[in-house]
Amino acid sequence: MNFNSIIKFSIIAVFAFCFFGCKERKPANQKDAKYSLYILAKDGKEYLLTSNTLDSGELKPEISGVYLDPKDMDRDVFVKDGFFYHLNRKNNRFSKFKLENGKLITAGFLDIKDFSIENFNWIGKDSLLLTGLNLSGYNHSKYSFINTTKMETITQGDMEIPAPSGKYTTLSIGFVEKKGNALLVGYTYHLAQGVSNYLTSDTLYVSELSYPQMKLIGTQKDSRSTYPGGINTIQSYNFKDEKGDYYFQSCPGIALGNHPDLPTGIFKIEAGEKKIDPKYFFNISASKIKNHAYGMWYLGGNKAIIRSERKDLFKGLGDHYSTAHFEFYVLDLLTQSVTKLNLPLDKGTRRECVIVEGNTAYISVNSTREGNYIWLYNIKTGALKKGLQLGGDTDFIMRIDRLKD
Amino acid sequence: MNISNELLEKYHLNTCTAEERRMVEEWLFNTDVGDLDTTILTQDKNSIKQEIWQEIETVLPQAVKPLPKRSNAYLMCKGAIAAAVLITIAGTIVYFVFASKPVAQADYLALNNPSALHVKYIDATGYDVALGPNTTAKINNIDGMIDLTGSIMISPKKDISLVFEGTDKKVTLLKGQTYIILKNKTGVKSIIVISERNLMDLPPVMQKQLSTQFDI
Repeated sequence: MNFNSIIKFSIIAVFAFCFFGCKERKPANQKDAKYSLYILAKDGKEYLLTSNTLDSGELKPEISGVYLDPKDMDRDVFVKDGFFYHLNRKNNRFSKFKLENGKLITAGFLDIKDFSIENFNWIGKDSLLLTGLNLSGYNHSKYSFINTTKMETITQGDMEIPAPSGKYTTLSIGFVEKKGNALLVGYTYHLAQGVSNYLTSDTLYVSELSYPQMKLIGTQKDSRSTYPGGINTIQSYNFKDEKGDYYFQSCPGIALGNHPDLPTGIFKIEAGEKKIDPKYFFNISASKIKNHAYGMWYLGGNKAIIRSERKDLFKGLGDHYSTAHFEFYVLDLLTQSVTKLNLPLDKGTRRECVIVEGNTAYISVNSTREGNYIWLYNIKTGALKKGLQLGGDTDFIMRIDRLKD
Repeated sequence: MNISNELLEKYHLNTCTAEERRMVEEWLFNTDVGDLDTTILTQDKNSIKQEIWQEIETVLPQAVKPLPKRSNAYLMCKGAIAAAVLITIAGTIVYFVFASKPVAQADYLALNNPSALHVKYIDATGYDVALGPNTTAKINNIDGMIDLTGSIMISPKKDISLVFEGTDKKVTLLKGQTYIILKNKTGVKSIIVISERNLMDLPPVMQKQLSTQFDI
């Protein structure tokens, strides 16, 4: 073999290596992957990544991510049994997607007209209840009950939630919980003053509706805080514990209710009850957190993680999402004790950022200084360690989801 | 009637007799040209022609030596230079006629939407802008100063940096991305600059209002 042949062979070998090497780096088993990660990159592009583990390693969205067309997808997407569900408000299309061969493929769709999702609830394995408002004014409560296997609407219609009256013009539905033959719906009212300002009522409401007729049975008011829950396609604000007691968070801070003089609190509706427990109120703002919080996830054993802002570190809504100022606290719901997690300050006003599995809570943190990581919190020991790194162009880990239960 | 040259000369010198004068004047004012004797002219035409040319040649410059023949490469090169010069001149004219005016206009952009309900869409040189209701925006493209009251949605055609008038708040807007900018009260705290991809970080009530207003 002469020198020229060696050179030619080397060039071919290098090309072949690059070609096959690159191919191998693509996630081979997207269909069977355990987790998905929704990434907003520094250049404004969005990607879906999949991984079988969150414990270690590094992923770069621009290399192994599935690019998401902003016309079809946004982070208000929710996941069940390997499928992604998303409503495109622009064309009224509610779609079911799956990841296959490095692409997001439509597995089915149906149209829901004049609808903006406020909350989703899985009533059965393939029975999905979407509750929301009319897109045309956000002042009228509606629902759509869907069979997600066939992607067909079973029933749809209006919910008998009292429409905004007096000075109020719109409403927000913050949580929906099915209790036997009743549906509990938490909400509050707003007065929108142009695009830059709005007021929220100082009271939160929980209406009991008959299910599935959606007729009003009664409404309870609570003025200990306002803005119950939030849009759960973007972040979680409630859970049910092992006993069946239901907890929801109120969010009067500037990022949701804009009624910051009222405290962020946690409310309880006991198992078997359809009314808020008047004796229970966990005042987060009065605890050592001394700030408003948005987002809450259950760890098990009466413990929950809450994500709270640091009002001394941001100036206003203009930098609330871009400044790293969020802290994570573990709450004991019974003793009302508060433990700060020793994590870097996190950025992003609203994110689905916690997955709980056994004794481990996976917490995604977007740190300006330390990078974007999934942190592993040991619920038993309280130990924290870094896991999977989201490197490359990652700016925000917007959500982490378990693809299959 | 024979009118000779000598007689005409005597007439002009005023030395002819009364009879001769009468004859000449009769001939001069007579419109009948049949009697004009042109035989001499016809006979001497060629010799006169030759005489005239000889006289002209005395004042003509010496014949110019023909230029040596140039090579094709020289001609091509010359053509290319000429073409380049022509293109440069044409380009300069086109630039100043067509480009200079919009650039001059875009140095300072004053936008106003007095409508209380509708959004106004503007395709400016450097960016696409949608002005929310009751919005005024003044953008100085030279120093990047922006003075805004109201709400705009802006998609820059290249990366731009803006400084908010009266503050030290500076933002860089990236080409190809869409941003919402809100400013209603004075002071840096009331300024919100957010990429459309981060819109869900704004309070849902504002997000819904913005989505409706700008048809996002």
